[in-house]
Amino acid sequence: MQQLLQQLINGITIGSFYALVALGYTMVYGVLKLINFAHGDLFMWGAYIGLTGLSLLATLLGGGGPVSIFPVAVIVMVTIALIGVLIERIAYRPLRSAGRLAPVISALGAAFILESLARNIYGASWKTYPTGLVPAGRVALLGGVRISIMQVLVLAVSFLLMALLYLFVYRTRIGTAMRAVSLDHEVSRLMGIDVDRIIATVFLIGPGLGGLAGMIVALYYGSFDFTLGWIFGLKAFISAILGGIGNIPGAMLGGMILGIIETLGAGYVSPQWKDVIAYVILILILIFRPTGLLGERVAEKL
Amino acid sequence: MLRKVLLLALAAVLVLPLFAGCKPKEAAPIKIGVELPLTGDYAYEGQGMLKSIQLLVDQTNEAGGLLGRKIELVVEDDAGDAGQASQVAQKLVDAGVIAVIGAYNSSATEPASVIYNQAGILHITPSSTATRLTEKGFQRFFRVCFLDDRQGLFAAKFMKEVLGAQKIGILHDNSTYAQGLAEHTKRYAEQLGMNVAFYDAINPADKDFTPTLTRIGGAGLDAIYFTGYHAQGGLLLKQSADLGLKLQWVMGNACNNPELIQIAGVENAAGTYVTTEPLPKDVNVPEAKKYVEDFKARYGEEPASVWWMMAAEAFNVIRYAIEQTKSTDPKVLAEFLHQAKNINGITGPILGWDEKGDRLGTIHVAYVISDKGEFILNPQQPSP
Repeated sequence: MQQLLQQLINGITIGSFYALVALGYTMVYGVLKLINFAHGDLFMWGAYIGLTGLSLLATLLGGGGPVSIFPVAVIVMVTIALIGVLIERIAYRPLRSAGRLAPVISALGAAFILESLARNIYGASWKTYPTGLVPAGRVALLGGVRISIMQVLVLAVSFLLMALLYLFVYRTRIGTAMRAVSLDHEVSRLMGIDVDRIIATVFLIGPGLGGLAGMIVALYYGSFDFTLGWIFGLKAFISAILGGIGNIPGAMLGGMILGIIETLGAGYVSPQWKDVIAYVILILILIFRPTGLLGERVAEKL
Repeated sequence: MLRKVLLLALAAVLVLPLFAGCKPKEAAPIKIGVELPLTGDYAYEGQGMLKSIQLLVDQTNEAGGLLGRKIELVVEDDAGDAGQASQVAQKLVDAGVIAVIGAYNSSATEPASVIYNQAGILHITPSSTATRLTEKGFQRFFRVCFLDDRQGLFAAKFMKEVLGAQKIGILHDNSTYAQGLAEHTKRYAEQLGMNVAFYDAINPADKDFTPTLTRIGGAGLDAIYFTGYHAQGGLLLKQSADLGLKLQWVMGNACNNPELIQIAGVENAAGTYVTTEPLPKDVNVPEAKKYVEDFKARYGEEPASVWWMMAAEAFNVIRYAIEQTKSTDPKVLAEFLHQAKNINGITGPILGWDEKGDRLGTIHVAYVISDKGEFILNPQQPSP
């Protein structure tokens, strides 16, 4: 029982990372019907920009400490958001009327470019975040189950961000415009919505959140390299599909479910079988709910 | 008379270019291939190994080369990937190398070795220790490192004799190397009467191993032996401390790397044992001391892992074979190495190789990570 609770906590932590990254996939898909394969690598770049920011601040202020996380987090979000908008401008917008496949290839190209840039600029070796930024203590919950302060913070921040995003999309004018654009570009334009601007906004928010997730993951695990975006990007993409792509609560749900299934598979069967177990369950879910758990429309593209 | 002089002059003009043509041909460099992971997960090792080889090659060339010819390195990056290894192996063959040093990991060495064997090239791996690499009957394949088999025996004896463990766990990462070492360790541990109560593998592409660790934590083990690589080793140490588990970790020689401690954090790595060949600075032969000094003088850092030294050793062996045989024919060199005995190696005396190309003897030791985050030779070692 104690082990089961511990495994659930492990799974929710992993799942919250998948969910945070999945938000970026699902938002872009919602408005553009495009799988933004560069998203995983924008997430990875968040980890690197965060590292640069923290080291800079540490040399400038000498130490920095936990407080330095906040300004650096803002820098990371802004930088990655700008890179996201830039990619949309250069690689996606010119191809918007070019059919389905061209933007997908363009997105894959952007992903490879981002990954190679990270490797060439930062080098191929593993990078480590400074330790001691977050107190290392652990809280013992009932029955000897442990949750670290870091885990509590990660979960709190993740849920807060997801809730804020949900409120933004469903309760603000820009959010309403986004949902309108996701239904139909032409009609939205007739209604006086600046579609290009809404899409640019999506490319600010999605990558911004993704970049922040990259920094949180790097803070949590302490080390990473330039391949970080690949596995998290893939798992997050699957989470988005599982939850119903284009659907924000779906991305959160999909991430959590994938994280928990993987963890239980690794913890109770074998880590070698966890992917088999996880994906058999996912295929079953998709057979019975082809649009994903919370998806409404059939994903008719790609 | 004038006619004779003219004829002679004409003859000279015609013949001279022939001699001129001979000279660069004689001085054509000896091409030696290097196949290492210069990018990807193992790039840190690959880069350091390349530096080591470059150091020795430059020293050799400054001293006049070999057989009056310069050494030219042809370097290819396999990224530690089996698919890429086959491609770059073919490139090295096409470049006309007589010998290849590489690859780093067994998964990359295995497909490449088939290609080098077909091309008849001398192939020496500095660091791939999977047993089955030398089971294919390749006559020109050698290693300067030692087999996983020996390390498995050493690790089992260490856990039993030094740690007094009865119930142990073994964790690998499904790579050719790690799985091989895990299987040998399991076999020897059971022969020594220990109970292998946990035996499984992680997926090294993952970042989060808490599900597996939680399960290991519940198994009540005296010691857990991880046979994978340092990037995952570091994460395992960090996350097992985060979970509050009190596990006695022992790790294989792919974790013999300062990055392990950097990734884990010093406080989480302290007390972990690592079974491995000795660090460069702990090898007690003059050749090793000279290598460490020269490396420091050139690069301003100490050679950080034994694999860097093994890469230098691989070149040293090729150089020795060329010097002794006065030949650059891979067949002659390979036959020579099969007969060779007691070479003064950089990594200690090389007793020779068996008919499969495996280096004889062993030099494994156990290190322990100190509270300051250093690998220090553990005072207690198992019986030889």
